[in-house]
Amino acid sequence: MLKYIWLVPALPLLGAAINLFFGRLLGKFSGVLAAALVGGSFLVSVVAFFELVSKPAEERVYVAHLWDWFTSGKLNVGVDLRVDVLSMTMILVVTGIGFLIHIYSNGYMHGDERFSRFFAYMNLFVFFMLTLVLGQNFIVMFVGWEGVGLCSYLLIGFWFEKKSAANAAKKAFTTTRIGDTFFVVGLAMIFVHFGSFDFDKVLDPHAASTLSTATLTAISLLLFGGAIGKSAQIPLHVWLPDAMEGPTPVSALIHAATMVTAGVYLVVRAHVLFTPESLNVVMIIGLATALYAAIVAVGQDDIKRALAYSTLSQLGYMFFAAGMGAYSVAMFMLVAHAFYKALMFLSAGSVMHGLDGETDMKKMGGLRKFMPITAAVFMVGAISQAGIPPLAGFFAKDPILSIAEKSGRTIPWLLADIAAFLTALYIARVIFMTFFGKERGDKHAHESPKIMTAPLIVLAGGALVAGFLFMRGLLPSPEGVFGRWLEPVTGIFLEPEGGLPETVLVLLSIAIAVVGIWLAYTVYASERWVAFRERFSTTHRMLENAWYWDAAYGWVVERPGKGLARFAAFGIDKGVIDGVVNGLGTVTKGISSGGRRVQTGMVRTYAAVFLLGVVGVLAFLVVRS
Amino acid sequence: MSVEQLVFWILAPISVASAILMVVSRNAVHSALFLILNFFTIAVFYLVLGSPFLFVVQIAVYAGAIMVLFLFVIMLLGVDREESLKERIKGQRALAIILVVGVLAEFVTAIRLGVGVSAKGAAGWDLVNKGGNPQALAKVLFRSYFLPFEITSVLLIVAAIAAMVLTRERLKVVPDAVLDAEDEEEEVLA
Amino acid sequence: MNVPVGNILVLAAILFSIGTAGVLVRRNALVIFMSIEMQLNAVNLTLVAFSRELGNLNGQVLAFFSMVVAAAEVVVGLAIIVSIFRLRTTVNVDDENLLKW
Repeated sequence: MLKYIWLVPALPLLGAAINLFFGRLLGKFSGVLAAALVGGSFLVSVVAFFELVSKPAEERVYVAHLWDWFTSGKLNVGVDLRVDVLSMTMILVVTGIGFLIHIYSNGYMHGDERFSRFFAYMNLFVFFMLTLVLGQNFIVMFVGWEGVGLCSYLLIGFWFEKKSAANAAKKAFTTTRIGDTFFVVGLAMIFVHFGSFDFDKVLDPHAASTLSTATLTAISLLLFGGAIGKSAQIPLHVWLPDAMEGPTPVSALIHAATMVTAGVYLVVRAHVLFTPESLNVVMIIGLATALYAAIVAVGQDDIKRALAYSTLSQLGYMFFAAGMGAYSVAMFMLVAHAFYKALMFLSAGSVMHGLDGETDMKKMGGLRKFMPITAAVFMVGAISQAGIPPLAGFFAKDPILSIAEKSGRTIPWLLADIAAFLTALYIARVIFMTFFGKERGDKHAHESPKIMTAPLIVLAGGALVAGFLFMRGLLPSPEGVFGRWLEPVTGIFLEPEGGLPETVLVLLSIAIAVVGIWLAYTVYASERWVAFRERFSTTHRMLENAWYWDAAYGWVVERPGKGLARFAAFGIDKGVIDGVVNGLGTVTKGISSGGRRVQTGMVRTYAAVFLLGVVGVLAFLVVRS
Repeated sequence: MSVEQLVFWILAPISVASAILMVVSRNAVHSALFLILNFFTIAVFYLVLGSPFLFVVQIAVYAGAIMVLFLFVIMLLGVDREESLKERIKGQRALAIILVVGVLAEFVTAIRLGVGVSAKGAAGWDLVNKGGNPQALAKVLFRSYFLPFEITSVLLIVAAIAAMVLTRERLKVVPDAVLDAEDEEEEVLA
Repeated sequence: MNVPVGNILVLAAILFSIGTAGVLVRRNALVIFMSIEMQLNAVNLTLVAFSRELGNLNGQVLAFFSMVVAAAEVVVGLAIIVSIFRLRTTVNVDDENLLKW
């Protein structure tokens, strides 16, 4: 089956093509088709997985050369797919969770005008994401990179009649574009220094060691620049909260489980190129994002925006881990997060579906009576994210904190602990405001259909048990099954010694999570938060507007940009260019209007001119002789 | 000084003076008369230069026919009024003076450069005019220049016809109905 | 017969220039025409002088033809002036400016 690995991206592409051209004819069947094709990809991936596992660890690489794409001078780029432990992990996550989300979407998007178009875009997105992670060279990866950006734009702005949705789509695209520019410059540098884009040639430790530290740092930081845009880290994070304008399945698939994790995948894949300096940058940015987003998430009343900031924060954790060199930890967090975040987004969608599209948590409350299944699975996801064992989130978060402490990075460790506390706090807040307390809503809530709740239950199962993959003994460890699985790519991670003992750290992180949940319970499960809000209204407004980051960008970027555009349009285009063209016309008019006066119509002036000519000719003749 | 030179130096100023007066006179008839005087002086110059035939032709054709025709037309059109002195085209007078002086200077330069002020006539002039100037002229005219001669005769006929055509009265086209009505009127009256 | 030819030529040049001045300065069509006649005469004088200088009769023949053609030209020209006068009762050349821009 490894020989047929190309089926994995090809099936969704086929689905996209069919739904794009024949969607109208298929009607409701387009959703079934789309889900089935992604499911088919998942099956192929599973079979390929077993094939890969049957090989010894060092040989778990398969490169499929599909065809020669282009040759330019000494550069040969082919459409090559690489199946190794890292990409296998990714395609299982993408196709597996993608499959569940497609099933869910059949229920969620029921009755939408552009039902088949939605599934066409979703399939197209899955195709591009698979291309991204299956690429054997940076060019194929870049095709996927750009493609997911495009599909994100299409899907965020799916309900483009809504102005806010269209604007959000534009914002997403342009912000990630900035990151993509850095990425492309990085690619150029790679070509200059390595002469190729192929992973086997570029991501070779021996080849990398021939370059200077400065060059490697530059290349890796440029690539990371792309990751900052795609994975919405500070300072290019502003598009993700607005991206919630898209349908909830889109938020779940793209902005929780897959596209935003492309940056993490990139860093892990290309970690050979990262120097200690660039890794520090990755770590700092990740930590800053994690902390900032966690703070802001506490003040969000819109359930989807709260989850969006939560995603930002968790992505920050992943980069924090990668920046410390703990790549398998970052990848496990990616997998676990994919499960519980997709789960929570879909559950939020279920809540919205039950309340006719309401997203303001102030208008919810006490919903667990009406939507027991949704409430239960949402809580599973939340507890997992908060980091309570034995759910998966604990096995992801705890290693990050303990590695930070043990490796002597005390201040980052403290900041990460604060962020962990806030994580537990804000996610529990969501649960309590939505499902507990007084019923503040006026809409009649009902549970969602089975087609929507079934995928939720499956995801919840994943969130419950996935943790065991990362265990050694009873403690989380990179030497668990998952960590060892990834070793061919990530290398062996030496856990630092020293610092506080492991058990202390584990108990500490659990305690932090519990305190956070308890605080949320006291404030939000009752009505005490209303009074709190009045007392801390300024703080709340600050948080709600995310420390006015968008407004700041508006001042710094938008105004000068508009000014420049106005100058170019009116100053240069109208003034100079039009001025030249119009000027030519005016000059011609002037010349002709002056020139026509020669035709006086009077014989005597003609005679005078005649004589003038004669004088001239005679002078010429006389002088010549 | 020989007779010819005396004649030249007396007539030349008269010639120039009459020319200038012709141009300057405000009365058209006066201009014509001055021009006739000029033609006479030129005729004498022809004589001095050894062409008695042209002397006579000049007086007969130019002064006698052409200028008379001019005077007829002047009288006919009643343009013996005075012309105003004001020049309406700006700069025309200045330009005219400059250009004319320039032309004259160029001519004189050319003459000085080319011919010089020599006193000689061609040798053997008497031989050229053997048998009298008209006969000699006729020999050349009817032998070498016969074709142009015939063509100029055609030209004269054409010119005469052209003059008649250009100046004839345009006949009005009267419709038959009106003509018949007029005839009826006459019959009734008769 | 020993008139210096150069003098005659200068005289002819002077007469020609005066004729040109007349064409440019006068407004009366008839006077302009007369100036043109004077120019023609000056040329004829030049021709005859050269004929004398060079010792053949070609110059005189050409002067003769020039007179003939001048006569024909005067006839036609005056006929035109009369026609214009009939139409517009003016012989002022400045008034004939229909070809103006």
